[in-house]
Amino acid sequence: MIELFDHLVLGFSAVLSVQNVLLCLLGALVGTLIGVLPGIGPLATIAILMPLTYNAEPVGSLIMLAGIYYGSQYGGSTAAILVNMPGESSSVVTALDGHAMARQGRAGKALGIAAIGSFIAGTFATLVIAAVAIPLSRLALSFTAGNYFALMVLGLALAIVLNGGSVLKSMCMLLVGVAMALVGADPLTGEPRLTLGSDMLYDGFDVAVVAMGLFGIAEILRNLDNPEAKPFAGNVVGSLLPDRKDLRASAGPIARGSLLGSIIGIIPGNGATLSSFASYVMEKRLSRTPERFGKGAIEGVAGPEAANNAAAQTTFVPLLTLGLPSTAVMALVGGAMTLHGVVPGPQVIDLHPDLFWGVVTSMWFGNLMLVIINLPLIGIWVKFLKVPYHLLFPMIVLICCLGIYSVDAQPYDVIQVALFGIAGYVLHKLRFEPAPLLLGLVLGGILEDNLQRGLILSRGNVWTFLSEPLTLCLLFVAGVAVGSALSPTIGRNRRVLAEEN
Amino acid sequence: MSDATDTMQTADVPRGLRVNVVGGAVVMFIAGLIWFGAIGLDVGQLTRLGSGAVPKALALLLLAAGGWVMATGLMRCEGEADRLNLALRPGAIVVAAMLVFAFFIRGGEFGPVSTPQLGLTVVGPLTVVIAGCAASDVRLGELLVTALGLTAALLLVFADLLGVAVPVFPKFLETGIGGAVGSEAALRITYGAYGTLAAILYGLVFGWRRKGSD
Repeated sequence: MIELFDHLVLGFSAVLSVQNVLLCLLGALVGTLIGVLPGIGPLATIAILMPLTYNAEPVGSLIMLAGIYYGSQYGGSTAAILVNMPGESSSVVTALDGHAMARQGRAGKALGIAAIGSFIAGTFATLVIAAVAIPLSRLALSFTAGNYFALMVLGLALAIVLNGGSVLKSMCMLLVGVAMALVGADPLTGEPRLTLGSDMLYDGFDVAVVAMGLFGIAEILRNLDNPEAKPFAGNVVGSLLPDRKDLRASAGPIARGSLLGSIIGIIPGNGATLSSFASYVMEKRLSRTPERFGKGAIEGVAGPEAANNAAAQTTFVPLLTLGLPSTAVMALVGGAMTLHGVVPGPQVIDLHPDLFWGVVTSMWFGNLMLVIINLPLIGIWVKFLKVPYHLLFPMIVLICCLGIYSVDAQPYDVIQVALFGIAGYVLHKLRFEPAPLLLGLVLGGILEDNLQRGLILSRGNVWTFLSEPLTLCLLFVAGVAVGSALSPTIGRNRRVLAEEN
Repeated sequence: MSDATDTMQTADVPRGLRVNVVGGAVVMFIAGLIWFGAIGLDVGQLTRLGSGAVPKALALLLLAAGGWVMATGLMRCEGEADRLNLALRPGAIVVAAMLVFAFFIRGGEFGPVSTPQLGLTVVGPLTVVIAGCAASDVRLGELLVTALGLTAALLLVFADLLGVAVPVFPKFLETGIGGAVGSEAALRITYGAYGTLAAILYGLVFGWRRKGSD
């Protein structure tokens, strides 16, 4: 227990410099700014803004990234509450009661309780991460290459199965992502692989470029397909601070949401969405007046917002301790860490303790920044929501171009983003979910490396490789997960679940 | 999950236009590309996997998965047989805008073509205006305000505050301007001017609109 606080102190000492706090503040600010724009979810926001963080040193850039992450999440909730346009699935639930509150002139209270609930949940989740990080990474360090390979297969399988959508198609995307990870110089021999004779591909695919195209630009193209909706943005935000009655009603939901979200977030898959739905359902069941839900019940905002923020935070656990990003956002964060020379995995905690604990505490900082800056700035966000989309998207296009160009001064990167934008749009039309592709792209190299090493250790005997109890067990669970999702009856149930979402 | 505008739930969508048929074909095509890219790579043995082993295995898996996706489309299982509808215009215009940015921001050799450097002052507004044409209703006045205002803001943030090395002026003006007032002053004058221009235009465009709507 004392050790835990020692670690947190170490983290705070790494984070607490004027520059880092400013970076976190800036990240939270621009994250909210882009995240609040209707139709642009956290994933697209982070993809668009990631190049901004490249200029800072490792600790600073990861802290800025954390700020962007929480900012974009909060921005998404703001858009959901004020104009009923949830940027991503995890704030769909928030829109139900949050927007109903906005229509009653209680938008300020909804935004306030969302920020407060998120902050409390974030504080709790920070403690959870600090508590489980060391045991989990110790466990992971004792893994053999074969175990590790199996663990990654299991993580990816769960991420696909729990994410909703067609498992078969997600698997296709995952495989394409893994293949893309192998493009470029062979890690051992340096010979070009899968480059199809192009020099441009010798350096491989950059995660930021692929993500910005597949999620940022493609999202714009998708939105252009639909006729522009005139969003309702009431001028009456009302009082920002929830009164005592609101707080009493929200205390339980926030506490339960924090706990629920922290647990669900650790499991690979779309934890943030799943936990916000679970929390909403739970609060509705527990409520003495369930008929108020959907008509502006503050519990219906407080619980899910706390849950989804706690989950958003504990999704860092598999990435930081096992090196296993379980969502596309985490894949981006992992990519950014790798770029700064820190490969996410069990060794980070020992090799770069300041960085590891810095990241953990910066999450708490990111949440704090949100409460500090966003409550006073709500008026500005409301104005932002009124910018019509036909002016908004050209701006985002230019910001994307300049953002990615500023990383390496490479015009080819901009061209690649454009091409991946088209690819993402076509994939959406073909109903392929591109998120698994990003997971594959980040994990592909490690996956191949562990498979190779595992086979060397078992002297090329596939049976020895597989028969190690832990490997076998993990692969078996992965097989059951995918197999059951592919089977017709359970598949149908999943589809029903996805439609309810 | 899918919106009604995406798809048409008709019973007799031609097989070649069904979402999953095209999707499966695309995946199989990618599998082909991977195999083609890995054709000269050594597969190695199980004790020592060669650099071609994993790519080739992936290609085979993808081929099978793509074939399966295609089969679901051909056999018409529920939504998988929907018609594929692509809107080409917005995508083409947005890509064109990005290509203009890529080709002219600092210029250079792109295969057989060489392009001049135009810098952010020219390319920035141009990208915004071109991209803006992808919308269903294009209002040039508003776009121009946005283009100038955003370029001014980006020059301020990226070039001045963050000090990112991004070309600001066209090559043929760069030396002349820089020599006359110093490159930093030139940059500040430029974004100041763009910002002012955007503000004046804003007054004109939106003020006029308000009068017109009365």
